[in-house]
Amino acid sequence: MSQDPKWDSWRSRWFELRYKPAGMLAFMLHRLTGLGLVFYLFLHLAILSKLGGGPESWDSFLALVRSPLISILDGILLLGVLFHGLNGLRLTLIGLNLGLRWQKASFWVILVLSIALAVWGSAGLWILNK
Amino acid sequence: MRSSVNKHQASWGWLSQAISGILLVVLLGIHWVAQHYLAAGGLRTYAEVVSYLEHPLVLLLEIAFLVVVTYHALLGVRAVLLDLSPGKRLVRLLDAGLILTGIATVIYGINLLRLILATE
Repeated sequence: MSQDPKWDSWRSRWFELRYKPAGMLAFMLHRLTGLGLVFYLFLHLAILSKLGGGPESWDSFLALVRSPLISILDGILLLGVLFHGLNGLRLTLIGLNLGLRWQKASFWVILVLSIALAVWGSAGLWILNK
Repeated sequence: MRSSVNKHQASWGWLSQAISGILLVVLLGIHWVAQHYLAAGGLRTYAEVVSYLEHPLVLLLEIAFLVVVTYHALLGVRAVLLDLSPGKRLVRLLDAGLILTGIATVIYGINLLRLILATE
């Protein structure tokens, strides 16, 4: 066991899943999706440099990203964006002392809504990409 | 808990993250729908990207999106790193690094837009 209390509290905040209230689960998911989205943002910007390479470079890239694997990754991205965005709005309302009564319930609603919208949105992308 | 961030700084960070977050819901919503759902086949070809960006309003929205998303992302990274309770000097170093990263990212993005619009 680590003797450093700072490390202990950090570790228990992130990796101990037992006895976590909904608010803490929301906090963890918000951070994990946030960090994932930061990674995606820089990946996305780096890939867009292909646009600077002209039509051949971009259009050959498009053929690659129409693969089923990429569609699955797009679905995961959509789920992360939806959860982070909806939960971010929830956090803003809570921070403004609004809707505190629905703090827990709204987390579960947002989780389910994000999954449902991600499935719907991915299906839409899948159909468009066909 | 020891913290190198005072209350005033923390609320400033919270407020600007909330405001940029709300802006992102709108800007990312527009970006996503326009780039993937309104585009034939779910993705724009090179020629379609160019003609799309030629609308001044679209260009303005994409630049606004770039600036706001970079700001929100780096402020988020800062919040996560500050939870590790770094010392004051480390926070200053981190802030300088994040500001430089943000500026470099926006310059990169605007330069890319310039390159795309210059190819026609």
